[in-house]
Amino acid sequence: MIKDLVCALDYSNCAEVALCVFFVVFAAVLFSSMRLSRAAVERFSSIPLNDQVEDPRYE
Amino acid sequence: MTTAAAHEASPDRGPGTTSDDQRLETFSYDDQIARMFVAATIVWGLVATLVGLIVAIILVMPNLTSGLPWISFGRLRPLHTNAAIFAFAGNAIFAAIYYSTQRLCKARMWSDTLSRMHFWGWQIIIVAAAITLPLGITQSREYAELEWPIDILIAVVWLFIFGGNFLMTLVHRRERHMYVALWFYIATIVTVALLHVFNNLVVPAGWFKGYSVYAGVQDAFMQWWYGHNAVAFFLTTPFLGLMYYFLPKAAERPVFSYRLSIIHFWSLVFIYIWAGPHHLHYTALPQWACTLGMLFSLMLWMPSWGGMINGLLTLRGAWHKVAVDPVLKFYVVGVTFYGMSTFEGPMLSIRSVNALSHYTDWTIAHVHSGALGWNGFMTFGMLYWLLPRLFQTKMWSPRLVNLHFWLGTIGILVYIVPIYAAGLMQGLMWRAMDDTGHLTYPDFIETTQSIVPLWWLRVLGGLMYFGGVVMLAVNATMTWIARPSTYEVPVYSAPRLTKEYEGHEQLKRSVLQDAPVLDVAKKLDVWAQMGWHRSWERLPIKFTVLATLAVVIATLFEVIPTFLIRSNVPTIATVQPYTPLELAGRHIYVSEGCYNCHSQMIRPIVAETKRYGEYSKPGEFIYDRPFQWGSRRIGPDMAREGGKQSSFWHWTHFQDPQNVSPGSVMPSYKHLLENDLKFNAIAPHVKAAAYLGAPYSDADLNDTAAVAMKQAEQIAADIVQQGGPPMTFEKQAIALIAYLQRIGTDLYRTETPAPETKQAPETEQAVEAGTEPRPADSETPVSATPSLPGEQQ
Repeated sequence: MIKDLVCALDYSNCAEVALCVFFVVFAAVLFSSMRLSRAAVERFSSIPLNDQVEDPRYE
Repeated sequence: MTTAAAHEASPDRGPGTTSDDQRLETFSYDDQIARMFVAATIVWGLVATLVGLIVAIILVMPNLTSGLPWISFGRLRPLHTNAAIFAFAGNAIFAAIYYSTQRLCKARMWSDTLSRMHFWGWQIIIVAAAITLPLGITQSREYAELEWPIDILIAVVWLFIFGGNFLMTLVHRRERHMYVALWFYIATIVTVALLHVFNNLVVPAGWFKGYSVYAGVQDAFMQWWYGHNAVAFFLTTPFLGLMYYFLPKAAERPVFSYRLSIIHFWSLVFIYIWAGPHHLHYTALPQWACTLGMLFSLMLWMPSWGGMINGLLTLRGAWHKVAVDPVLKFYVVGVTFYGMSTFEGPMLSIRSVNALSHYTDWTIAHVHSGALGWNGFMTFGMLYWLLPRLFQTKMWSPRLVNLHFWLGTIGILVYIVPIYAAGLMQGLMWRAMDDTGHLTYPDFIETTQSIVPLWWLRVLGGLMYFGGVVMLAVNATMTWIARPSTYEVPVYSAPRLTKEYEGHEQLKRSVLQDAPVLDVAKKLDVWAQMGWHRSWERLPIKFTVLATLAVVIATLFEVIPTFLIRSNVPTIATVQPYTPLELAGRHIYVSEGCYNCHSQMIRPIVAETKRYGEYSKPGEFIYDRPFQWGSRRIGPDMAREGGKQSSFWHWTHFQDPQNVSPGSVMPSYKHLLENDLKFNAIAPHVKAAAYLGAPYSDADLNDTAAVAMKQAEQIAADIVQQGGPPMTFEKQAIALIAYLQRIGTDLYRTETPAPETKQAPETEQAVEAGTEPRPADSETPVSATPSLPGEQQ
């Protein structure tokens, strides 16, 4: 059955599908990062600057 | 925060913990493991650059080694690359990860024992590489040369010891959000494990030899999927993680854009994995795969420069510090070289540019601008920042740090500029044709000799860069000597992270909650707040799975078609397995590292077919495990070497290359003329090849030594006939000659129809020895044309 399935697959579109997958993921990541609040951005980007634990430890 | 003497800390889990989630826990960071990896980085940095300097000198003075096999270019070049990548850069990565992860997680490494096992396990692997590679024990897969027992050790140390310890530290962290540097470390760990395991699947033929489960085109595809991504996920992503931690630390200001770092990360991880096939333009790899590799390589430019811009702009408002702080100077130059390399890489992946640059020194210059500039300088910057903090004293000599910076920077330029020129010269000379349509430089050695002066300049540049590393070693040693008798260990206290996270609830509420809109609009608004993505960033295991999926999906899109479309590798009826003696010769070819200087891939480019002969076909390599296409031409291509020269010519060439090829930079391989071939050791090679599908006769499998001996006697007799010495049949060179005389000849083989009458005794002997086609092979349909039988779908 697997052999039939593999034989039935059309690989010729792999490159195009790959590009589409990338653009969808890229758009999602771009959208996600743009939705990040300024407070969260500032909080996250300052994490390495201090080795001590700071509270509250949320966004 | 309090401090405690080092000896007072708990040896495995820090000063103390409590069982109650709500109560404060005390912990300290394990800086001793960072000290150990820092020391190893400096030691292996010296070794890697010294071996690099030696191989650069050997190229311009080939007779310097007096034919000693252990220090030939072919054997030392993999030692140099492995030492630079896995010993120097590898230990630097680990030092960075162990130092920064603990601080970004606000937690000690999960297990000190695993940390020590990781350190010593990795050093054992490096020492094993330093012993086996000069001995010629190699898979010949670039940057994956180590044989299968060491590969298993790498997998265990990397994935289970290092990866396990790292992941458990993330699980037990006290900082809710995983900083972007940790994302890069996660991607590094999972992807390198994936690459390493799937590229090194072999069938063992003894403790020191394994045969790849892939052959020819598919082997090449897997190797460069690995090779390119070794650069991506061993030399890029962990160093970006390093940059995102240590650059803000040194500049004392946060990263320029955290949003950009998120886009940078996901784009880089998703795109990089596709780019491998650009290493195989114009080869026998299917064109669609190369086009895909090229396209994604070009796209890679965007996230790469996103990272570079993010790094450089982190210094906004702090450029006055760059002028006085050598650490920041190293980072600025390192990030700038990253930008240059990641612009040049996509450019080199364009097919028409690649046609000129591939196999030339241009690639070497490109690699070294990245390795010396990006990896080297980012490492040096990190080390100079870490040394005073880890050894809790001032740097011994800040002036020496400055001197290292300038010497190293000038050294890189003195290295790469002439090698770029050499690469361009090679590429242009190889393709140059006169008005009559003939090659302007038909003699390959002429093209090599013209760049030797530029190779001398490389020696000077390499010497300067090595000098800088010596300065680092001296400075680090003197700083270590001035360390306090007991290190102070700061002790921190904080409660564990609670299992419930209030942020979830906040993000589940929509601003449209009370508005007169459809429920679907409210749900869409909640989804668009991206709380689900924030939660991924807080869940290390889910994040690891997602990063792995991004890599695996991209890989499968290329791997599945490459392996399953039969027309990718059209079969050629006349292509037969190597005879036992040829297989033994191929093993010697691999062991001596001949692939480091000679390609076996003629591209369908007029200048190449005129110089070397008919272009290479995918079907010619179905028994090549591993493939030997190579990536560089210090010597000419060997894909059609069979039958070009007499066996005696090869014998003389191994003895003294300059004797038959004046001006050659090939060293003497006289040991092959002196050492006996172990005929009894050939059988495991044949059995492994047969196990992987090569059709061998019962005689080949069960009487291997005798079959090989007969062919060796024939070649030895030919050498005598051609005026050579007698009694050479037992020597290793005979096996190598058998292999060289076979390369690329199957395409032209014309099958003799099976005789109706009994064969003459001489022919029978030749058939058994494998130099004549086997009668049984006539079952395979063959072309009737006398030459160029063509390909059959």
